[in-house]
Amino acid sequence: MKKQGMWTIGMVGLVGALAMLLGACGQSANKSEVDVVHYFSDTLGKTTVTSIFDAFTKKTGIKVVDNTTGHEDFKTQILVMLAADNPPDAFSYWAGARVQFVVDSGRLQPIDDLYKKDNLDTLLPPAIAAGTVYNGHKYLIPFGYHYAALFYNSKTMQKLGITQPPKTWNDFLAMCDKIKAAGVVPLAVGSKNRWPAQFWFDYLLLRTAGPEYRARLMAGQAKYSDPEVVNVMKMWKVLWDKGYFVPNANAYDWTDAADQVANGKAAMTLMGTWITGYWNGNKLQPGTDYDFFPFPQIKDGVPNVALGPIDGWVMSKNAKHAAGALKLLSFLLDKGSQAPWAIGQGALAPNKTVDPSIYNSVMKKASEEVGASEAFNFNYDLATTPPMAEGGLTMFAEFMNNPSKSMNYLTETDKVEQTVFKK
Amino acid sequence: MSRRLWTVAFLSVPLLAYTTIVIVPLFTSFYYSLTDWNGFSAQYHWVGLANFARIASDPLFANAIKNTAIWMAAAIVVPTAAGLALALMLHRGVRGAKFFKSLFYLPICLALAVVGQVWIWIYRPDWGLLDLILRNIGLSNVAIAWLADSTTALGAIILAWSWQQTGLAMVIFLAGLTAVSRELTEAAEIDGASYGQSLRRVVIPLLSPATVVVVALSILNSLKSFDAVYIMTKGGPFHSSDTLAMFMYDVSFESYYMGYGSAISVVLFLIAMVVITFYFRQVRALEHLHE
Amino acid sequence: MSEGTPRQLSEVTPRRSKRLRGARNSPVARFFFYFFLIVFVLIYIAPALGVILTAFKSNAEIASDGLWTLPHALRFDNFVEAWVSGHVRIYALNSVLVTIPATAISILFGILTGYVFSKLPFRGSEALFIFVIAGMFFPPQIVLIPLFRFFNVVGLYDTLWPMIIVHSAFGLSICTLIMRNFFSTIPTAMREAAIIDGAHELDILSRIVLPVSLAPLAVLATLQFTWIWNDFLYPIIFTKSDSMRTIMVGLITLKGQYSVAYGVQGAMAVIASIPTLLIFVFFQRYFISGLTLGAVKG
Repeated sequence: MKKQGMWTIGMVGLVGALAMLLGACGQSANKSEVDVVHYFSDTLGKTTVTSIFDAFTKKTGIKVVDNTTGHEDFKTQILVMLAADNPPDAFSYWAGARVQFVVDSGRLQPIDDLYKKDNLDTLLPPAIAAGTVYNGHKYLIPFGYHYAALFYNSKTMQKLGITQPPKTWNDFLAMCDKIKAAGVVPLAVGSKNRWPAQFWFDYLLLRTAGPEYRARLMAGQAKYSDPEVVNVMKMWKVLWDKGYFVPNANAYDWTDAADQVANGKAAMTLMGTWITGYWNGNKLQPGTDYDFFPFPQIKDGVPNVALGPIDGWVMSKNAKHAAGALKLLSFLLDKGSQAPWAIGQGALAPNKTVDPSIYNSVMKKASEEVGASEAFNFNYDLATTPPMAEGGLTMFAEFMNNPSKSMNYLTETDKVEQTVFKK
Repeated sequence: MSRRLWTVAFLSVPLLAYTTIVIVPLFTSFYYSLTDWNGFSAQYHWVGLANFARIASDPLFANAIKNTAIWMAAAIVVPTAAGLALALMLHRGVRGAKFFKSLFYLPICLALAVVGQVWIWIYRPDWGLLDLILRNIGLSNVAIAWLADSTTALGAIILAWSWQQTGLAMVIFLAGLTAVSRELTEAAEIDGASYGQSLRRVVIPLLSPATVVVVALSILNSLKSFDAVYIMTKGGPFHSSDTLAMFMYDVSFESYYMGYGSAISVVLFLIAMVVITFYFRQVRALEHLHE
Repeated sequence: MSEGTPRQLSEVTPRRSKRLRGARNSPVARFFFYFFLIVFVLIYIAPALGVILTAFKSNAEIASDGLWTLPHALRFDNFVEAWVSGHVRIYALNSVLVTIPATAISILFGILTGYVFSKLPFRGSEALFIFVIAGMFFPPQIVLIPLFRFFNVVGLYDTLWPMIIVHSAFGLSICTLIMRNFFSTIPTAMREAAIIDGAHELDILSRIVLPVSLAPLAVLATLQFTWIWNDFLYPIIFTKSDSMRTIMVGLITLKGQYSVAYGVQGAMAVIASIPTLLIFVFFQRYFISGLTLGAVKG
């Protein structure tokens, strides 16, 4: 009888599951291990970070239990784990407002002692070191960071006879005009997931109103309807009105925009250095096929600030394997870990003792640019608290869809700001 | 053994498991709706009904309700009709019926993450399949960015979702058609009934248990419709494709207002409760009418 | 309606099982039938084709040519990579160990409760029925935190048990819905006759009701298997070791922070969909008419 067939299958399944459970029971009593969760889940990232973990195990004998899931689900997963009081010992997180949020929620362990014991401060340039301190204490180990700039197709620019990076805003506009006249779209943006548009807002604001004003805005102490911000939207709109952007930006992901540049349909895209990892994966050559120039200066006297995210590692409060976790964090800052990570991800290593020869020509240039900058700022969605970031990102996407209503968007965002920061 | 004892025996284990795993956690999460918890913090405060007051004045919530209602309306009609049509077409020995049935069932077998991505690739304005076809048949001005346009994004996602859901409806109708014995329909034909009449008078009434299931599932799946939206637009552009479930996720896991998100889920639950109870009452009334 | 209606030739000729329902001899009807069928087929094939194309193309190819072009070569690299680097074997085994018990248990639960609601109603059973299907009234994200806490406390975190238990409990809703509705098409006369003959409820359920319910059982088996197999939310939350992961989790972990391995994802999706498709094909034979209600002759 078919029904009996199903029962049999069910029984077999139950027995099998029991076997698995019994098998699993044996493993969990291991003391010398560390539980981690991270979001470096793409194939290359996963392999690289796993090999770093293996090196750690070889050195210390402590096993790293890696609970990676997809980048998208990381947010859900980490929230559930923290909220249910069963956090991983250490996890990757974005430096800036997001770490601040978790620190303020009382979920992270300060690691000042670790920094003192292993002398970790000496390994970091001051701009990066600033991103490790929250509420006066150290909480974060920086793992890799990225720098946002205008990445372009070298061959396209060569064909168009453009050899010099623009030094001023007018230079930049003139360059875009020249590109457009030759039938190429100057700027690609893939703002389907909203965040790629933020770099335009960030740099325009940084280069006109300066980092101090921006810091106040990020902290909810300035308004989105202030003249500084209105001015930014006006300048952004000029680019739009002149037809410099690829149409339908919101239909494309940042990788699509990168493809448009690689295919020659567009000339440049404002993106972070991880784009080099993507392009390398598609067999493009740094320098010959692609390169970058920094976002041009706009106003004289405004400090030259570099923009980008820092990926770091933090330790949970009440971590079950605290000692092992601290050892791991220290190991991750070591140049032996940071170098392969930077190469694999198209990232820059925060550890300044890393040999710069590991970088290809483009990354080397990026590293020098950051070194020459007066400060390092986090991009919008890492610089302001998450609920505010949601409102701002929506505004940027709305702008890329239809900039004529930008005053409306600013008013809306003001309202969001009031709700978020009133506590 | 008395009938009552059998009832208790049959119900006890399932209900115990269900109450422990589904109902108790549900009410725990409802409790959060009365707090200002941000999802991370170990501390939170009681705020009474403040979150619910916020719902009443939040335009994004009203937007999400509107979108969910649209989705529900489409869900009740499209997959049901399409699934019924397919089941009717395929349940009596069409050549290759087995192949066709598997083809229409295939969408449900595919991982949602991949399905979502493929539909994104269908809807792209540059080399997406839909616009490719539209341009080739001369309709270039209709070839827009379906997922990036706030007027079409919701509809585009509903279409992709219906693509999957229709297979589900078809399968349930196929099983339901087994209750329609061949003798009955042939008797109707012999009596001179046309296909349409036989359909209306014999088949569809006998399919009503299956139809009830299909419509109920469509209603419920549309209320829960999170995954498809998340993968294709995350509720964008600008919340034009935000459904209640997506909005709840956004508020809880992106903006970290877990208390507010829980309040939204309470409302979602109540809406579902009301709609389904109403629906089943109607069904029962109709059944009594036919007896 | 029955008198004086001219009979068509088709009605006096013996029925052939291949005769299309309603198509009769009219070529017009048959044309429309095949036309709609083809339209549906095309709509259905396009996305499925997309998944297959993804599996056979490399990321670079998709970046340069778009997806909807034939791949340069039929390379199986993506499949090999999915099989080798993705730990697919462990994942697939775990998926099996979770899906089969959960499917069986949830269906069993549904049979029991569905039987009560349709054949043994009592005061308040309608309300209880709504209570039972309320499990479908909300997206599962809502209960992740309490459930996680629960399984952590009872020590089942990072095993396969939470997934089996949760799917069984949540599956009760749809299994009850379907079984109750199908049981209600079985006439009470049958049950009453059996009681007169001295049968008790379990007898009736197992020897009379279930054998004619193969179609809905097959539907549930197919659907539950597919849903549980395709779920990724619970495995993410309730497990942490690689050895406990299921195949769907393996699929989504290929999406990184700044890049996606579309090709390998596509290959894995194809591999992962094979079992559910096979289950469907296997259970299709129970979706045929004539086996149920054979005893009803008026």
